[in-house]
Amino acid sequence: MSLSAENTPDNSTINHSTEPLLKVENLTVRFSVNRKGLFGKKEYLYAVDDVSFDLNRGETVGIVGESGSGKTTTALAIARLVNAHAGKVTMHGEDFLALEDEDLRRARARCQFIFQDPYSSLNPRLRAEAVVREPLDSLTTLSEAEKRESIDRLFAEVGLRHEQQRLFPHQFSGGQRQRIGIARALATRPDLIICDEPVSALDVAVQAQILNLLRKLQHDFGLTYLFISHDLGVVQHMCDKIAVMYMGKIVEYGDRLSLFNNPQHPYTKALLSAVPAVYRRRGESTERISIPGDPPDQITKPAGCRFANRCPMSMDVCTEDQPELTNITGSHRAACFLTQ
Amino acid sequence: MPALLKVENLRIELNTRDGISPVIDNLSLELYPGETLSFVGESGCGKSMTALAIMGLLPDKVGRVAGGRILFNGENLATASNERLNEIRGNDISMIFQEPMTSLNPVYSIGEQIAEVLRRHQALSNKAAWSKAIELLDAVRIPDPQSRVSDYPHQMSGGQRQRVMIAIALACEPKILIADEPTTALDVTVQAQIFDLMRDLGRQSGSAIILITHDMGAVAEMAEHMIVMYAGRKAESGPVQKVIESPRHPYTQGLINCVPHLLAELTEERPQLAEIDGIVPSLKDFGRDECLFASRCEFADTLCRSQRPPGFDFGDDQIAACWRAGEIH
Repeated sequence: MSLSAENTPDNSTINHSTEPLLKVENLTVRFSVNRKGLFGKKEYLYAVDDVSFDLNRGETVGIVGESGSGKTTTALAIARLVNAHAGKVTMHGEDFLALEDEDLRRARARCQFIFQDPYSSLNPRLRAEAVVREPLDSLTTLSEAEKRESIDRLFAEVGLRHEQQRLFPHQFSGGQRQRIGIARALATRPDLIICDEPVSALDVAVQAQILNLLRKLQHDFGLTYLFISHDLGVVQHMCDKIAVMYMGKIVEYGDRLSLFNNPQHPYTKALLSAVPAVYRRRGESTERISIPGDPPDQITKPAGCRFANRCPMSMDVCTEDQPELTNITGSHRAACFLTQ
Repeated sequence: MPALLKVENLRIELNTRDGISPVIDNLSLELYPGETLSFVGESGCGKSMTALAIMGLLPDKVGRVAGGRILFNGENLATASNERLNEIRGNDISMIFQEPMTSLNPVYSIGEQIAEVLRRHQALSNKAAWSKAIELLDAVRIPDPQSRVSDYPHQMSGGQRQRVMIAIALACEPKILIADEPTTALDVTVQAQIFDLMRDLGRQSGSAIILITHDMGAVAEMAEHMIVMYAGRKAESGPVQKVIESPRHPYTQGLINCVPHLLAELTEERPQLAEIDGIVPSLKDFGRDECLFASRCEFADTLCRSQRPPGFDFGDDQIAACWRAGEIH
């Protein structure tokens, strides 16, 4: 079986159903950490703990959280760049985590990744055109002429000039390098693109160019994005639905308007209030909720809510039981006893 | 009240492969006690160079102060001897660097690194310096400072390391604290803690703060005055509230509008972000007699490309170096 890069979503039968493009169920990723010497008991750090969400075609779902919250690990596990310990990832109705060999190769062509650091994610020894060609060589069976044509088109789509194809990565600016990364991700015409902090390594003025480009491409090709970021302003601008993660768990999930206008979880509220306000109006209307300290040690999982020790509204029950992610209104869900 | 720090027509030149480039070109500023001044701009615009020049830390043989004066309490730091600068650095003027991960020495305990400053500048005994270090850790809100004082940098989180950096910087109660992107590597909730800390400590000790950042939100929250730098020149300066609400320089406008700011009341509407096309010109073009922003500016005309704009005054100290600033709102 071969996959053509021209294989638009309409050719597939599964895609016409209303089923979500990507379904993540109870995804868990753990890393083993040996703490007590050579013969000590093996302990595990649960970087992602029982995470579930859906991603519909053409939508952008954002995962936001601080460093160590597990947002990048979630993305890596979905793309099978780290191994999941438990859980299920269904893409196009197939169990993506169970695929092997040829099936996996075919599926990988439909799910591509844009990395955070445009400096280290491009091979310095390859010319820009070779960087973009790599996924075409390894994941598709296009003829040489078709590949040539694809590369030309991709460069035009991401706003790079034709003669820049011959240059090496170090000859590009950060923003241009990220454009090469985007062209590489688009090469196999995937349905799903996972963007892991795509603009956080870029200068402010260049960020806007890349964010506008990502939205234009989404509009033109009906792309679906899983968008990982720590920048709440960027997430608010880019995403239709947002999952807020804290210590490996989703603590709140909701659509853009509902989550930002009416945040429910104390962590989400604290996170939003910590962002400095540029305009006086927002500065005056938001009350600062400060959360002291750092997240607790991730290896010894607390029995109750993971946020309880920093939460300004913590109650007795919070240190004893784990709150489940429960519906508030519509698709808006929060894992907090206060909202239940 | 006399200015604590007065920079007059500062010019810093760097030797590059293409010759000599003015990385700071005709910069003047005044800083008063207790005030926070912010430098804003993209990378490569000379924000950090200004800070290094004030600290006398310009890279040897590559960079030098080619003109102008840096007056600290009336004393010109640009011509001060190394011995004199050593007395001032870390004592009267201190600096917090961007990378809390790499700016602490990994082989000394944090208590040792704080105590070093106190022994050097205040001639405290080992014991007195050590107990002052514990006090300082407490002041920057490190929990359990008694036992944490003998920890090494790798045992602390990023936010804690940056708090240790602040403790070192504040050890001698400096008159000026220069913070170069102090929170860029940190999470927002930690950033909020660090900003609170800097504000409180500034208020208590009356020291002036120079905050270098690219985040307009941080500027709005922390500073009273701001200077927008572009390609080594002052593009716009003035009181923060006024510059942010009615910027006159197209670059300032671009910097404010190109960032998706968190909105208080979010609506369905999602307009395109304003883009500033292109990138900062390369160092070899810095000295030209023209507006260096012209190549990226939608308002640029022939005048902009043939003559460097002087600063135009828009009242309340707001000054914009743009030929067409009067037409732009």
